[in-house]
Amino acid sequence: MPETAAQGESAADPRFRFLSSIIGRPVRGPDGARLGKLTDLVVATGEPYPLVESLVLKGREGRRSYPWSSVERFGNGGLTLKADAVASTPPDQPLSDRIPLVEEILDKQIVDVHDAKLVRVNDLHFIELKGQLRIAHVDVGLRGLVRRMGWEPLVDRAIGLLRPKAGYLKADQLVSWKLVQPLDQSAGKVRLEVAQRLLATLHPADLAEIMEDLDRDQRTVLLERLDVETAAEALEEIEPEMTAQLLEDVAPERAADILEEMAPDEAADVLSELPGETRDEVLAAMEKPEAREVEALLAYPHDQAGGLMTTDRLQLTAEQTVAEAIAELRRRDEEIPFLYEFFVVDAKGRLLGNCTLRDLVLNDPSTRLGAIMREPPATMLVDDRLEDVATAAAKYNMLSVPVVAPDGMLLGIVTVDDILAEVLDAR
Amino acid sequence: MPAEQQAPPVPTQRAGLWRSFMIFLAVVGPGIITANVDNDAGGITTYSLAGAQYGEKLLWTLIPITIALVVVQEMSARMGVVTGKGLADLIRENYGVKVTFWIMMALLVADVGNTVAEFSGAAASLQIFGIPPWLSVPVVAVAVWLLVLKGTYKSVEKVFLVACLVYIAYPISSFMANPDWPVVLRATVTPTFEWNGTYIAMLVGVVGTTIAPWMQFYLQSAVVEKGIKPEHYAHSRLDVIVGCIITDVVAFFIIVACAATLFKAGIKVETADQAAMALAPLAGKYASWLFAFGLFNASFFAATILPLATAYYVCEAFGWESGIDKKWEEARQFYWLYTGIVFVGAAVVLIPNLPLLQIMLISQILNGMLLPFILIFMLLLINKEKLMGAYRNGPIFNGIAWLTTVIMIVLTVWLVVMGVRDLVA
Repeated sequence: MPETAAQGESAADPRFRFLSSIIGRPVRGPDGARLGKLTDLVVATGEPYPLVESLVLKGREGRRSYPWSSVERFGNGGLTLKADAVASTPPDQPLSDRIPLVEEILDKQIVDVHDAKLVRVNDLHFIELKGQLRIAHVDVGLRGLVRRMGWEPLVDRAIGLLRPKAGYLKADQLVSWKLVQPLDQSAGKVRLEVAQRLLATLHPADLAEIMEDLDRDQRTVLLERLDVETAAEALEEIEPEMTAQLLEDVAPERAADILEEMAPDEAADVLSELPGETRDEVLAAMEKPEAREVEALLAYPHDQAGGLMTTDRLQLTAEQTVAEAIAELRRRDEEIPFLYEFFVVDAKGRLLGNCTLRDLVLNDPSTRLGAIMREPPATMLVDDRLEDVATAAAKYNMLSVPVVAPDGMLLGIVTVDDILAEVLDAR
Repeated sequence: MPAEQQAPPVPTQRAGLWRSFMIFLAVVGPGIITANVDNDAGGITTYSLAGAQYGEKLLWTLIPITIALVVVQEMSARMGVVTGKGLADLIRENYGVKVTFWIMMALLVADVGNTVAEFSGAAASLQIFGIPPWLSVPVVAVAVWLLVLKGTYKSVEKVFLVACLVYIAYPISSFMANPDWPVVLRATVTPTFEWNGTYIAMLVGVVGTTIAPWMQFYLQSAVVEKGIKPEHYAHSRLDVIVGCIITDVVAFFIIVACAATLFKAGIKVETADQAAMALAPLAGKYASWLFAFGLFNASFFAATILPLATAYYVCEAFGWESGIDKKWEEARQFYWLYTGIVFVGAAVVLIPNLPLLQIMLISQILNGMLLPFILIFMLLLINKEKLMGAYRNGPIFNGIAWLTTVIMIVLTVWLVVMGVRDLVA
């Protein structure tokens, strides 16, 4: 099977065929008697280019499906079935990982992973090999729309006359099936794994944008196709209200897993949008330390320093050395998103100063942090307003602003990306 | 002590009520906003002309129209809540490219007509202040275009909504004109009918402006956008019903005020200045200013929503990227559609010596003629078990909606036949 290029495939090549060119065509028995018209093709997924397994036709007695192997020959005039097939009764219940193309894919929105956006399927492009059909591409372009209208020859001729060199004539906007993610309901285990690998290649921000464009059900389907980490990263970029709506529809255990992966401040924002009962359920399902952290943050209003801060931070004591700091930094790389700056506290956890990555690089490994730390230019109390936090960050060029209790205990940090997001939102 | 022991249930009950009220406030909006956009330039003009030309004779239609409006809008909202998809989306996914294409073309034509009506309304109202259309229309068009594309629209929406309070002028004016209330009320409940072309055209216009096809797309998308869940649907339904009633109460008083003043005086309304006389009992010589303010607000409000909404549905149906948060290169079709609708809408109004009020009426008649086709698809969709499950239409809703569809088809066919006959004769 050839690895076909995504763009510019000639539709005239006999080895290729569009779904629109066979759907609705008559299906005949071996004697030429009309059985009905073709309404759907069912593919088995799991392979990169799924094979058409069976066909569905609608005759006088309603819908009926036949295995594709019973097709004698097919073309633009329709399909003819083999003699033994007509008499047989095929199993009618759909197996998992089977997709009826017209019902679930055609005209629906799917994720184009290559271009990181949502597209609508105008047509499907098959490759024909030894009488078998495999899906090769998804047509998402204008040409597909025109073809579905039945105007392709007409429009081609008109444009050919007016502008023979028009890009429209050559360029089918075909996206390889391998690079799209349909959002139908019927994915089994194998396909979920493929989907997870595929979708994890998207940037979380792109994934977030796609999610926002989807309707509610599809959004839930897409969330199910994501592994916990990818889901958490993407959801951090979405409005907390929408994330809350989404998580309400999944099992509390999975919601808890996703929230644990999110930064505690983002998780707290989402939890505060959940209705009371669901919130308690999800909190109960979360691991104890994470749940406690998030619960503490939930107590603060979201436009104050307490609500803005995250408790994920690197916190070392003045007695520790540069070498220990670097070791700690390496150890916790996974969970701490923000590594350029960290805070130094005394034995009781009171804030003493801060150090940067630069300090660690420039100083001798045996130097104690107490000797190189600086006093933080500004600290915040939990009830300080967003405006004050933003002003301090801007004034002192801080990447993160520490939030302390009245007795000087370091509670958390507000990072500059959260400040930016909130300030942009407040405008 | 016993009092204290009994105390707990009260706060919980109050909390329940309070929570209920908060949920209502949170989902309130789509229905009531839609209602106010519904009373746009075309609406005010059509009701005014209906009252001025037929006096109280069309009042009876408002009761069946209100029932049909509630039923139709409720269906839109319900479909939005249950499926989480817009109407254009549902039509495309269930009926394929061909059906979608023709519906979108029809909707596009009707919406360009409506946009023409909005700009006519803006031109007519500013004319009262002495600003000629060749100046006002381009300025308004550019203002609308910029306001929407710069994303500042949301912040001014509330201003429009508050300005809608100007409609209170009509009830007050109605009472001050002191119409013969027993006659008015009798006319409201006594159906009368005339089988002539102008009467039927007016009737189709009144229905078309009240149950405008594009509103169904707009309302459903607004409900989807709000992310209202089926559990909270009861509140959403209340919002829709309240909105529908507001629309038709305003319509009622516009017709009554016009009947009591213009129709009584035998004025044949041809300009906005004349239509404004309906507010004279309240505002005296300032009537035209008050009318102009109301008409301008309605026109401008709808002109910001209508072209944008239309561009959204068309792009949604064909799978083109849409949204004012996208860059021009990313969502080219969307921006060109939007710009094109605003441009054509404004350009038509610039044709010299156009009878602005007549144009507005005609656009609403067009709405009425398109309505049955949209209704048919809404009915087919809302009765699909796979889509709506337990939320399908009951027999009463189906009955009312199908009856509305059939009546509108009969009236439309009749109107076309009359038009052809007049043309031949």
